[in-house]
Parts: sequence; structure tokens; C-alpha cells
Amino acid sequence: MSFLKIRSCFSLLIFVPTFILFSVTVASAQGDKASAASGNQEMIQRGEELFKGNCTQCHAVHEKVVGPALTGITKRVPMAKIIKFVHNPAQLISVEKDKYFVDLYNEYKIEMTAFPGLSDNDIKSIVAYIESVPPPAPKSKADTGGDSGEVASSEPKKDYSELILVLTVITLILVAITLLVFITVIRKYLKDREDTLAEEDKELVNQKFDINAVIRSKGFIITVSVIFSMVAIRACWVGLMSIGIEQNYAPKQPIPFSHKLHAGDLKIDCGYCHTGVYKGKQANIPGVNICMNCHSVVKEGPVYGKAAIASLIDHYEKNKPIQWVRVHNLPDLAYFNHAQHTVVGGIECKTCHGQIDTMQVVRQHANLTMGWCINCHRETVVNAKGNAYYDRLLQFHESKKKGDMKVEDIGGLECSKCHY
Amino acid sequence: MKWILYISATLFIASIFSACNHNFDHIPVHENTRWEFSPQMYHSEAYEPVTQVVDRENYPESYNTSPGNNGMNVRMPVPNTIKRGFTPYNVDKDSLNWAAANLKSPFTVTEELLAEGEVLYKRYCSHCHGDQGKADGKVAEKFKGIADLTQDRLKAASEGHFFHVISKGKGRMLSHASQISQEERWKIAHYVKEKLQKTE
Repeated sequence: MSFLKIRSCFSLLIFVPTFILFSVTVASAQGDKASAASGNQEMIQRGEELFKGNCTQCHAVHEKVVGPALTGITKRVPMAKIIKFVHNPAQLISVEKDKYFVDLYNEYKIEMTAFPGLSDNDIKSIVAYIESVPPPAPKSKADTGGDSGEVASSEPKKDYSELILVLTVITLILVAITLLVFITVIRKYLKDREDTLAEEDKELVNQKFDINAVIRSKGFIITVSVIFSMVAIRACWVGLMSIGIEQNYAPKQPIPFSHKLHAGDLKIDCGYCHTGVYKGKQANIPGVNICMNCHSVVKEGPVYGKAAIASLIDHYEKNKPIQWVRVHNLPDLAYFNHAQHTVVGGIECKTCHGQIDTMQVVRQHANLTMGWCINCHRETVVNAKGNAYYDRLLQFHESKKKGDMKVEDIGGLECSKCHY
Repeated sequence: MKWILYISATLFIASIFSACNHNFDHIPVHENTRWEFSPQMYHSEAYEPVTQVVDRENYPESYNTSPGNNGMNVRMPVPNTIKRGFTPYNVDKDSLNWAAANLKSPFTVTEELLAEGEVLYKRYCSHCHGDQGKADGKVAEKFKGIADLTQDRLKAASEGHFFHVISKGKGRMLSHASQISQEERWKIAHYVKEKLQKTE
């Protein structure tokens, strides 16, 4: 709180000298101080609005962006010159050749846009706002710890059912051991006084477990062989069925790219990069120029650091295509069109591709078998609303059949729809 | 003993059919491709966009890489040609003021057009410029220097201004011409002018 007050005193010093004199000399008079601060507060607030509306496009207070960081500007340039520059930058740079601004021009290679619309007072309040912003606290270790914590928490949650199962098995084994111990103890106890026991009980105590007899028994052999062949047949069957299925295929890409970061955290729409997905058959792998829309500026990532982006920029500068590894490989014998599904069908990307926005490395979510396609065509109701193409089909369907018009009702299961 | 035979036969059949409706979850996450059933039918012999087999030694039957052409199957357009029905937008990047004053939108503004514009805006713009155009998208925090589309200076700008900036870029923003077609650019420009800038 006291820090803020000191700051506000500084800005007062610059703009309203009478006020500052007043507040410094009568520092003990609380009321006066408050009124001065509130007048200043209004100015800062107005300055903040103006700054956010006009300046943040190129400037930040403590960071170089397109133009220089503005903090401490009043220590570098007198107020009158600031106003003059904001109103007409070209005048100071090209005509008057003011050394400070010419140096800035040479450093940033761009001339600031003129803002003749801002009044002197506007500019003063913007400066007041700039001077009122405290410098950002240096990044403490706790911050970075928080970051890594976030990464850790993003990992799939542990499934405790396995742990419970293991614990149950251990408990059961312990119970079995205790029971065995009990039996041996009791048997030993009874054997010691065998003479007192009846004949039947004697037999029971001296009974021996013959494992060979059990193994040779017909029931045992049949049960085991049936179970064994069932398991073997099922394993063969599953193995044969999964030939050509690439579910969970997650190839390593030439440049590590996190969909979790781009599509998840940064909320970039899928269609921003995969431009073809609403327009044609292919969803498109974006060209490097689309990457450069952001990576012309952003050169360090939170996950893979600088090297990955440096490699990307290298490809861009050398005009060299990046050989991304295709994840979803539909066989050539089947035809698939993205636009038909996304635009006409209105199906979302994640229906087939899964939660891409949580995948650090993209993985094939669906199995892409024909059964999977067919199943969806059987279950999905045609998105016929507001689409005149389907009007007559819908009419025909309603006259012949009950229920919604599914994709299969309009030929979605015809072989030649996809295979030709 | 016949009943044992019957029961085991039933179990066999049941076990086989239980495998039919399989969801393939047993396939682990793998980095390399697995077995293919019939590669000749899986890979296109003709050059296909975004699919290419470059390993001639291991997959001689499916190898389909165009010789030359920088190793790509996708072709660059022949120089000095344009695609059918396409009018290139060849105004210079620096001629923003000319474009803002002279370009006219081919559309009349309707609610449907603005709805389409909204979808396009959310797809191509909002991660930087924010859903309300206040430059508060998620990317803006890292990228910096993003224009607030609701500021007075841009409220005074014409649709042509936005069209030109999307096509050619301005400041830190690069050209989005390869992603957004000309019609889509006009729709976005209308949406920004009619909806985002008139909310207050």
C-alpha cells in the first residue's frame, strides 16, 4: 500500500507540481493526501483505458514488444517531446532528426503510428498510468515449480482399481496361509492324542492329499484342455483380427509438436491450421507459413523449449518441407471425405479423433475399421435440417419407414459409397 | 460323456464369437506401424496429397514418391498461373489506406452472413483477438502486440481495411491469405464491423 502511494507521488511530481508540493509539505494532513491521490487515481484509470485501447498493440510497460518498453519514459524524454512525438513521429525522426528517436528507429526498424487524436491531457494520463505500474516480480522458483506441477497433473489420472485388486489378492493369500497354519496346528494337536479319537476321525486326520490322482482324473483333464484351447483360440483370433489395425499409433514427429498446448491450452481452433477440413477431402497438414504466423514472434515453447521452434524456423528459411509422419492412414481402397462429415454431417473433430486437445503426442484414437464406419452410419441420424438437398429424401423416407432417417437409410451402407 | 462334448463345443463357439465385437484396446501405444494386411491395396500407386511412402527398400510395392519436386508429392502451382475461378488480390501490403478507401464488399449484410462470419472469426481470429475483439485471446498473452478490434481507430476503419489486413498482414500479424478465402475475409470483416464493434 505504501509503495503504491510513493509511486503515485512520483507521477504527481511530473504532472501537477502544485499538488505534489502540497502533499509533500503537508504530508501529515491525511485528508489532503487522500484527495490528491484520488485525482491522480482518476488520471491513471483514464490512462489505463487509453493505453489498452491504443498502445498495447505495439507497446508493453516492462517488455519490449514491437516498440520499446515504456517504463521510466519520463526519465529519458521530457514530457513536451513525448507529446510531440505521439502526435507526429515522422516530424521528430525524419525532419528534426532528434538523436534519441532516430536511435530508437534504427533499433526497431519501424516508425510509430501517429496519434494526432490524443490530446495533451490524454498523453499525460497514459504516461501517468505507465509510471504507476509496478515492475513485475522476478520469477521465483515457486513459479517454475507450479509450471511443472501443471505438467504433472496433466498426465492421465492413475487408475486405482489395479491397486485394489493386488491388495485383495495379497489379503486372500495371507488368509490362506493363516488357515493352513491353523490346519497343521490342529492336525498336530489331534495326532498327539490319536488314541482317544474314533476310527472315522482317525482316517480324517491321517488323510493324505494325492495330487497325481487329481491330475489324472478325467474331469480335470477335460476342464484344463477346454480352457486352454479357448484361450489359445481367442488369442489367435484377436491377433488375426488386429492385423492392419493401427489404433494407438503415435509416431514420433520430425519436430515435436504438442496438440495439448496449441489446441488445448491456447485454444487455437483445429480449422486454423488444418484448413482443408471444412473445404475438401483432406484436412491438410499446415504449411510452415501457418506455423510462422505465431512463431515469427514466439521463439520459445513451454514444453520443448527453443530447439524445436528453431528447427521449424530453419525449415521456413530454407524453404524445405517438413516431413510430418501421417498418423491416420485410411487404406487407399476406401474413400473418405472430411468436408462431407464436418460440414454436411456437422460431426466434430473429436468424435473420430478423440480428445486431441489433451494429447501431447497425437495418437490414433479410433480403430478406423470398416465395422467402425458402418456402426456410425447405422446409428447416426442425417443432419437434414436446413439442407434442401435432403428435403425429398426426407419426404420419401417418412412415407416408407418409421423413425429418424439414418445414414444407412439413404445409402450410407452401399459398397460403392466408399469403395470404387 | 456326450454332455461334456456338447458343453465344450458351446463354450468354443461362444469364445470365438465373443472375439468378434472386439474394440482393439489391447493394441498398445506404438511408434512404428504394425502389420499390414495387403499393402498393395492400402497405399496409393498414384501420388496422393498428404500421404507418401518414401522407403523404397522396405516397401517397394507401395513406394510412391515423386522424383524431383523437392521430395514432395504436392505440386507447387505453375508460375504465373491461377486456379480456375480465382481472382488474385494483388494490392501491395503498404497500400492499406488505398484498400480501406476503395475496396467494396461483394456481400450485402444479412443475419446469416454475420452468423457465418462469427463462425469464421472464432475459427481464425479469436485465439489472438479474443472472442469479443478485445485482444484477450489465449495466444495474445504470449504473442503480444495484438490489436484491440474495438478501439476507436478501428471503429472508424472500413471493411476494406480489415480485408486488406487479413490478406496482407499488418505489424506483427502475417498474411492469412493462404488460410482464409477472399469471401471468408469479407464475412469476417462484416462480423467485426457489425457485431464486435457495436456491442457496447
